[in-house]
Amino acid sequence: MSNENQQSLVSSLYERFLKNPWPYYTGAVILAVLNVALLAASGKPWGISGIFNYWGGMIVELFGGSVENWLFFKNPKHLKLLHKGFWGNPGSVRDFAIIIAALMTSLLAGQFKFKMIKSWRQFAAAVIGGLFMGYGAMIAFGCNIGGLFSGTASMSLHGWVFMVFIFLGGLVGSKILVKYLL
Amino acid sequence: MQEKELDCLGEACPIPLVKAEKAMNTLEVGDLLIISIDHSCAMKNLPEWARDNGHNVEIEETGEGQWEVFIEKCK
Repeated sequence: MSNENQQSLVSSLYERFLKNPWPYYTGAVILAVLNVALLAASGKPWGISGIFNYWGGMIVELFGGSVENWLFFKNPKHLKLLHKGFWGNPGSVRDFAIIIAALMTSLLAGQFKFKMIKSWRQFAAAVIGGLFMGYGAMIAFGCNIGGLFSGTASMSLHGWVFMVFIFLGGLVGSKILVKYLL
Repeated sequence: MQEKELDCLGEACPIPLVKAEKAMNTLEVGDLLIISIDHSCAMKNLPEWARDNGHNVEIEETGEGQWEVFIEKCK
């Protein structure tokens, strides 16, 4: 193979795998395979947001606060896992890896960019939306990964109930978005 | 032929799409809509939407994580 051909092969592979977004079905298949692998290997369904309880607890303890009276940490299993620390908690390592991988993806694609906050409305919407999502995920015992994705993948009823209501929530959210954020 | 620019930098999905849809309705056939975006999912759903509606689309990368989407209204 000539040098020129090699170069064009490398750049076409780069474009295809790192630069351009993958089709949705590629992501779906990879997620499905990894989900089965994780469930088979660890015996627990995949979750994201439950870990934020532990991260929150760690931050509070880091500043000398006590979380032992929190309802969540009154469960001795939760407290024990909290004290295994950041790297002793498999879910915590996974969440950290997701953040690093997402950063790497945008850096490798040459698409990393700090984005400006466009308006106070956008700022307020992001803060309020984030609080709602976090609070909702905690009282629902899972976000769209632990609650919806892992739920439906294991044919648990709660995942399908989650799906119906996330759809309704999305409808309301998009009405609010069109009314206040355009 | 008229040219309209839409600054959607800093806007997250689906706002660029909804704004583009609105702007498109004010244009005539043959007019050009130029949308600046920096949200990579808009780089996927804007051209998809425009092509589905039979318009001509071109994308230009104007910087790291920043694009201009040119949509020519065809019908």
